[in-house]
Amino acid sequence: MRHAISNIFSGLVLPGLVAMAAVAWSGVAFSEGLSTGGVMSEGDVNRGATTWANNCTRCHEMRSPTEFRDDIWKPVVAHMRLRGGLTGEQQRDVLAFLQASNSPRAAQVSFEDSTPGTGLSGKDIYSQTCVACHGANGKGAIPGVPDFTRPTGPLSKPDEELLHNIINGYQGPGSQMAMPAKGGNPELNAADVRAVLEYLHESFGQ
Amino acid sequence: MKHLTSQWRQTALAAVIAVALPLNAAADSTVGDDTYEALKSQVEMLQQQLQQIQETLKQYEQQTVTNEEVQELKQELAEVASQQSEWKNTDSIVHLAGYGDATYSDKEGSPGAFSGARFNPIFHYQYKDLLMLGAEMAIEVEDDGGTSTELEYTTIHLFATDYLAVGGGKFLSPTGQFRQNIHPSWINKLPTAPSGFGHDQAAPISEVGLQGMGGFLVAGLNINYGAYVGNGPILEIDAVDGEIEAVEAEGRTSNDDDKLVYGGRLGLAPWPNSEVGVSFATGEVAGEDEKNNATRDYDVYGADAAYKWRNLGLRGEFIKQKVGSAGSSAAPNSASWQAWYAQAAYRFMPTNFEGVVRYSDYDANLKNQDQEQWALGINYLFAPNAMAKLAYNFNDGKNNSNADDNAFQVQFAYGF
Repeated sequence: MRHAISNIFSGLVLPGLVAMAAVAWSGVAFSEGLSTGGVMSEGDVNRGATTWANNCTRCHEMRSPTEFRDDIWKPVVAHMRLRGGLTGEQQRDVLAFLQASNSPRAAQVSFEDSTPGTGLSGKDIYSQTCVACHGANGKGAIPGVPDFTRPTGPLSKPDEELLHNIINGYQGPGSQMAMPAKGGNPELNAADVRAVLEYLHESFGQ
Repeated sequence: MKHLTSQWRQTALAAVIAVALPLNAAADSTVGDDTYEALKSQVEMLQQQLQQIQETLKQYEQQTVTNEEVQELKQELAEVASQQSEWKNTDSIVHLAGYGDATYSDKEGSPGAFSGARFNPIFHYQYKDLLMLGAEMAIEVEDDGGTSTELEYTTIHLFATDYLAVGGGKFLSPTGQFRQNIHPSWINKLPTAPSGFGHDQAAPISEVGLQGMGGFLVAGLNINYGAYVGNGPILEIDAVDGEIEAVEAEGRTSNDDDKLVYGGRLGLAPWPNSEVGVSFATGEVAGEDEKNNATRDYDVYGADAAYKWRNLGLRGEFIKQKVGSAGSSAAPNSASWQAWYAQAAYRFMPTNFEGVVRYSDYDANLKNQDQEQWALGINYLFAPNAMAKLAYNFNDGKNNSNADDNAFQVQFAYGF
């Protein structure tokens, strides 16, 4: 039996790996995202936030997007694709999220910026941009994220303060990582953020 | 420009008024003293205003930039923007990562000592989204004051598709998780590896060969895989006692037994921040000096699981290496090495403290190497990638052996 298994691997695995490498070098696209000549999809910030929140902490503590510059995140995320068994699309998504989320906090984002906005409901924005870290129940999905449902939690603060924190990013006491400006989604405008805050109050407020 | 014209108009108007008002007052000889004084004060006020306007105008003229200056500024901006773009959009990227640690250890029967000073730089060279070379060195101070330098891995990966990266070189063994992903000291929650997961124990360390790895998303389920073919390990044989001491499962560039080893791992992530995986490897191996005169079967089986739920991190792993018998060997009998561990780590939010408990059990081929261990630890996380660890290992091994001595450790680890 053991010899049979060994023969299978001898006969299939090695030639298979060599064949895959050869195909890749020749530039023949057998998937949409082939790196050698194929057109790769753009990274998606929202998907990236989810992939980042759902994968990184199973091995190590969550590293803040602000830890590295845009150009440094690129090889780091490529390395993590190999370590974490991510797909190429997930790699690009996570990179887009990290690069969108590491702007210096001093660069304040205006309430009345000219971003067109998503036009989505607060619930939809929450489920795309916020849920990865804050969780579907608002109690926080990763360490250091506050519980929205606590009576003395973040939602007990004045709305103006909350809007400011969401728009510009915020790092709570005891948390080792800051929430990026607009949750890392640069497409949100002030109206979107207000819609999300309304949803937070409706769903998790006391 | 419009603003400038407006300023000139104001100045001219004020000047006309300032001159006209006194003349008008002088011409009208019938005005009384009160009227004269009122007009005089108005003139003085207007003169003051005129002076202020002239000063403002002078400042404005000093601040006004010429078209040439604007063009120079634009050119400078374009150059800066170009430079910004250059470092962001190069084809090749060089990046240095890695980790280091410093350890104090006090073991029963041995004097306490600062027992570890280690620096593991990791080099990344990436060409577009196509190639990545990753290499890690392990530079460590030794007992006698010397320095050991080893190449943990060096692999060139080709990102062939979104679902496959093909790599060649020396790579960390994909059988199991600890040796591949958890062993760096800034990730490992305790200063030591679990029993049986150290060098020359139950878990394979690295391999030299060819590797394919990647991931898929199937109905929202993350599936990852790694498959490899390599030279395989060799056996450390004690010819005098006729025993196999250990499997040297660390990548080497020789293949004296003329047999390759094939293996891999398949992992699934059923929930966010969870993963279960199974590993295997199979092939043939021989003793270090016996080469292909006494080859024998070699098999590895492993299973691992990890789950992070809010502040609680759970993980565990089982690994077994076994070799068959070889009649022509100085150590003809079969042998096996088996180890497993289970670990829980809990972060006491909102503080930076974390408690860790780990149980591990190692059954070696030579019974004096067996060890059962409870490790308790308390960590302080200065940052997600920097932590101080304080731990105590309750070891249970063969009486009076090194494996039986309890140990206290303090370690500071930093990943960058």
